[in-house]
Amino acid sequence: MSRTEEPQAVERERLAVASPAQVRAAVRALARPHLGTALSGLAVLTVATGAGLLTAPVLGHIIDLVTQGRAADAITFPVVWLIVIAVVQGTLTALGTTLVARLGESMLATLRELFVERVLRLPLGRIERAGSGDLTSRVTGDVSAITNVLRDALPALARSVLTIGLTLVGLAVLDWRFALVALVAVPIQVYTVRWYLGRAVPLYAAQRVAVGDQQQQLLGTVGGAATVRALRLGETHVRLVGSRSQAAVDLALRGIRLMTRFYSRLNLAEYVGLSAVLITGFLLVRSGQVSIGTAGAAALYFHNLFTPINILLGLLDDAQVAAAGLARLAGVAYGERAPKTVTRPAIPPGPPVRLSGLGYAYQPGHPVLHDVNLDLAPGERVALVGTSGAGKTTLGKLLAGVHRPGLGSITIGGTSLPEPGEVAADRMVALVTQEVHVFAGPLADDLRLARPEATEAELCAALDRVGALTWARALPQGLATVVGEHGHRLSPAQAQQLALARLVLADPPVVVLDEATAEAGSAGARLLEAAALAATEGRTALIVAHRLTQAASADRVVVLDRGKVTESGPHEELVRAGAGYAALWEAWSDKRLQPDV
Amino acid sequence: MPTLGRDILWRAIGGQWRHSVRGSVLAAGHQAGEALVPVVIGLVIDEAVSREDPGALIRWIVVLGVVFAVLSVSWRFSARAAERASQQAAHRLRTELTERVLAPRGGAEAGRLPGELVNVATEDARRVGAVNVAFSAGIAALAGLIVGGVALLRVSVPLGLLVLLGTPPLLLLAHLLGKPLERRSHVEQERAAHASGVAADLVAGLRVLKGIGAEAAAVERYRRTSRDSLTATLRAARAQSWHDGGMLMVTGVFLALVALVGGRLAVGGDISVGELVAAVGLAQYLVNPLSVLSWANGEFAQGRASAARIAAVLATPPAVTGGAGGPPGPVQGRIRLREVSHDGLRGLDLDVAPGELLGVVTADPAAADSLLRLLGRSADPASGTVELDGTALTALDPDGVRRAVVVAEHDADLFEGSLHDNVAAAAASPASVETAMAGAAADEVAHALPRGAATVLTEQGRSLSGGQRQRVALARALAAAPPVLVLCDPTTAVDAATEARIASGIRRTRAGRTTIVVATSPALLAATDRVVFMEGGTVAAEGTHADLVRDSPAYRAAVLT
Repeated sequence: MSRTEEPQAVERERLAVASPAQVRAAVRALARPHLGTALSGLAVLTVATGAGLLTAPVLGHIIDLVTQGRAADAITFPVVWLIVIAVVQGTLTALGTTLVARLGESMLATLRELFVERVLRLPLGRIERAGSGDLTSRVTGDVSAITNVLRDALPALARSVLTIGLTLVGLAVLDWRFALVALVAVPIQVYTVRWYLGRAVPLYAAQRVAVGDQQQQLLGTVGGAATVRALRLGETHVRLVGSRSQAAVDLALRGIRLMTRFYSRLNLAEYVGLSAVLITGFLLVRSGQVSIGTAGAAALYFHNLFTPINILLGLLDDAQVAAAGLARLAGVAYGERAPKTVTRPAIPPGPPVRLSGLGYAYQPGHPVLHDVNLDLAPGERVALVGTSGAGKTTLGKLLAGVHRPGLGSITIGGTSLPEPGEVAADRMVALVTQEVHVFAGPLADDLRLARPEATEAELCAALDRVGALTWARALPQGLATVVGEHGHRLSPAQAQQLALARLVLADPPVVVLDEATAEAGSAGARLLEAAALAATEGRTALIVAHRLTQAASADRVVVLDRGKVTESGPHEELVRAGAGYAALWEAWSDKRLQPDV
Repeated sequence: MPTLGRDILWRAIGGQWRHSVRGSVLAAGHQAGEALVPVVIGLVIDEAVSREDPGALIRWIVVLGVVFAVLSVSWRFSARAAERASQQAAHRLRTELTERVLAPRGGAEAGRLPGELVNVATEDARRVGAVNVAFSAGIAALAGLIVGGVALLRVSVPLGLLVLLGTPPLLLLAHLLGKPLERRSHVEQERAAHASGVAADLVAGLRVLKGIGAEAAAVERYRRTSRDSLTATLRAARAQSWHDGGMLMVTGVFLALVALVGGRLAVGGDISVGELVAAVGLAQYLVNPLSVLSWANGEFAQGRASAARIAAVLATPPAVTGGAGGPPGPVQGRIRLREVSHDGLRGLDLDVAPGELLGVVTADPAAADSLLRLLGRSADPASGTVELDGTALTALDPDGVRRAVVVAEHDADLFEGSLHDNVAAAAASPASVETAMAGAAADEVAHALPRGAATVLTEQGRSLSGGQRQRVALARALAAAPPVLVLCDPTTAVDAATEARIASGIRRTRAGRTTIVVATSPALLAATDRVVFMEGGTVAAEGTHADLVRDSPAYRAAVLT
């Protein structure tokens, strides 16, 4: 089977995670093109926040006017000021947050594009060693964690920090002693935040895992509902879903307990700070150093600090999560080495292929292939057969360049495969496996991944060649039908035909087909074999086959047994030879075929 | 059973009424406390600072402490109660939905993708549960409004009226400003989700892309999607910024108005300086509960939409109705189909003797599918009868039928858990697991895995190859050891040599019990007692595999090419 030979016991080599210094460097690199936006955004927001802070002293001035027993009309002028402040603050805040959003979103877009690009260019072998789960969680979970923080938190964060900073300045302008006593709340806040982060980050991480587990369980259970019913596993599965859901609920409740304790502590800080400001106001008014209006303004200033401080401190755990996600994205985008693209002389279709002295081991001491020598004539289609674990898939992957041979060499049309760390600009060998994937979006877009500039007629021709044009035309919107996830669902056989149509469009000189007909039911398999035959026409092809009818239709059959080539020759010749392949063929059909048929 | 979204919504609150009531009362206490803070600040200014009275200062600082203690403790426990109500209601709905989807009578998945159903069980259940939080926050906001309003009216009736009558239009304005924004942000969210969906999709199809060298095209496509998404996001962010800025402006102007009226009243001696401070503070504060109310309104609207989706799933009609209990007495395993017509079947008559190993060959997938569905009573025949030991399946409960008849479909799913757990999931006895593993050649699969049968299969067994998955699923069906087992294409992804071993494994494991194998594989069919060849929805020929190969060209074409 295709993956039994895989190094499942080998430790995963996880993809790179950036160090804090690398993250900082990455952020700098991302921000550099937007420096102007960043600076102007900061400047505009600073002015906006500063303007907003003028409200309190103006209100204080009104209070003073009242205590001084001025005429009612004296109030009008400061009120006009309040209106001017409101208009300036509103306008500049809108402008500033727009600029901050543009900065954050542009950086995020660049980062995710870099990440996806780097991932797509990583060697397959590297990804297989890392496991695709790691990659998927980075591309979904981490990107969305960072997006949420950037979108919701960054503007709030910027405004909160500015408000807090400028309010302290404002307090100091009223009287430096107000600013000083306002700081008595700081030790409580620092202590609270440290206390909280130490607990929140692991707890929320556990919560995300629990929610993910619950999602996974539901997907398995709901997706397999027919199987659950057939085997009467309903009760077990309801219990499983229930316990996963309960685990998520328990963690959510622990989360809210932690959060409420956090804010209770911050309430204490608010109370201590507010009392200190009020007492200071009392003392300063009594000694005649400030007016009642100033004391009132100071109290209002401090009261207005509650919200931004809570916002700021509440965002710290999100920020930590986002920083961790950023390290994982930047690790790949900047830390993983991409192979160098090398240009090679063009190879004519169907070149000769020579595999000589190939040896390969996933784990040292457990070779999967020994000294395999195999020549494929130009345009020859060779079927590779053998029992599970014989090394068929590994041989295919070596030819396709997924793994580098431990021993021996591979040449195609006389040139050797690219060196490690290199990739050819034009792929010489295409690999189609039983793993099918229909890309979400219109069917035509899926096909154009293989040849972006293909015309509608070329797409139809490719579909026609693999016998898929009839059903493709019959789709609700023809080739414009949205397929894949959330779209029209194609059967496994149709998906595999699509893969072969892509192969036709990609038009590589050499093809490796690894059990590309296996996923379909028995009726579909024959259809796919015909399609595979059509798609490999004119190319040099190595076909890993488990259905021997496919082997029979190849130019030559090569039998692999425990990593060694044991037989090689045309189907009839091997059947006549009466060795291993003949026995396989007999198991497949001869026993039931009467001699006269 | 509730069928309306409204019922679901109210039950989600009603079912948690203890927590909801406690949450609401405490949240009201919290809001009242928040409303009192500016009032106390005003009192400190008036009674302590203006009059330079240290005793009053200490008194009011203590009062402020009490207010803070009350608001802090109330919030703490109200938030917990509301969250508990929300989480428990969601959990209950999730369980109920799972039960409905898995109900033996089925039907809930009809026309819905698994992802959709999972979304209903997670997101929609969460939204409906979260209505509990909105409920207690809404009650609390009302309380805050009342306390703040009363405090203001006590300061001054005209000022109080100005604030109380002025804030609702302010919020209405905010609502109207927000309306187009909401629509736009919805579109934007979809675009953003689309970008991350495309990325996940490309990563999922990575091997396929790399196999045909389509990396550059994929990178280009993703870049376009990402840029489109960025444009949409920026447009929405700009709208959001101007909305927020506009609100800031409007509340600022409103505050100036309050200061103007309050200041004139204070100059006239109608209110004290401290009352002026309190009035300004209250005017700022009251925007809060009012916006909480409009937020709660939004949450309810979302909760209603989610509840309607949940209700739709719960109310889906079952796929089969009628019938009760299981087959009476020990099951012989005699299957009889009479004049059965259904999708792909036309007047099919079929008899399977107890203990027989029967092969069924059909080139029409619809016919095979119908046969499997009818035998497992996932569907009832449009006409005709399907009998087990002389009892019509329609007279039995579907779960009762499946106690005797297990249908193992071609695309049966594996579940998260170890390989052994999967095989043993429905096993008749521990001993049957071992024989089944050997019979399905799944012991070889276990052998090839790093931790043997204890290896955990992730993502519905996708860590295995297609052939490995098939063998594990087959072992699971064999281990269930039911009186009647129906297998469909159990070895399509297995190599020829292994398939031959499996064929004899099935025969050995199922000796003496009825087994129906729907397949076109010669290796499997050769191991059967008898083969029925179907064409046009009915039996065209029957006999041993060898006889049919010899005598029927159509059969040969179906199984040997």
